Amino acid sequence: MSMASSDCICDVGKHVPMASSALRPTPEDELREWGGPTLVRGKRVLDLGCGDGRFALGVASLAISVEGIDPDPEAIAAAKRTARKAGVQNVRFATGMAQHLEYPDASFDVVILSWTL
Amino acid sequence: MVDALGEVHRVLAPGGTLIDARPDSRVRAYAERRKPRGFERFGVVRTSRLEVANDRASDRAIARVVRDGLFKRVRRGRFWHLVPFSSLGELRTYLSEHLRFVHRAEWVVDRATRQRHSHDQFVIRRAVRYELLEAVGSPRDLSGPDHRVTFRN
Repeated sequence: MSMASSDCICDVGKHVPMASSALRPTPEDELREWGGPTLVRGKRVLDLGCGDGRFALGVASLAISVEGIDPDPEAIAAAKRTARKAGVQNVRFATGMAQHLEYPDASFDVVILSWTL
Repeated sequence: MVDALGEVHRVLAPGGTLIDARPDSRVRAYAERRKPRGFERFGVVRTSRLEVANDRASDRAIARVVRDGLFKRVRRGRFWHLVPFSSLGELRTYLSEHLRFVHRAEWVVDRATRQRHSHDQFVIRRAVRYELLEAVGSPRDLSGPDHRVTFRN
């Protein structure tokens, strides 16, 4: 198992909010550690357990499309609000459970379980 | 948990990538004071027993779907993530409210040192693990009753 040399510091300001996404590495940091933008560039991405859309929105500019699924309706509402404000067109959020995904077979090139499993 | 991974396999195109990333409870986390250059270790922060058990269940779930031939391991690694706090008090509040860690750090510096630096900036340094897995075969291979995969943790 490799150990990356760089440290990731998420910039959450002076006070650390208790919202979970603020306590996690940034999407850029995570993607870099996993292997870089090529992992999602031009791909159909499913972010399972997307929470408030932190990662899904972070990779939207690279992917063809991103679907974010989370069982928490409040988190999904927050993700939709953020997406609307940011004017992101290729991301969709929906409530749902990972055990029952309402997508046809082979719908995605990449599935991300970021702090989900 | 394994049911979810079976669904992930179904919706992934053959050769598609599953990325599993989460905090690594096998590695200790640390409470550290930020210095002008670098960090000074003030304590050890252990993961709660429940979260350790959850992480092990996740590991077993991944191992199961690999064994069942749904995925093959491609690459894995680990990196450090620093959660910043503006003071020692804020770090303590975080620990008392957060479920992943035990609620008190095991300090490796004495009380006077902690008090002297209580208004300094701190971080919790924790390990994050990730693994990339490749979806193997066609999802249709698993659709018939003879190929039905039953999942148990």
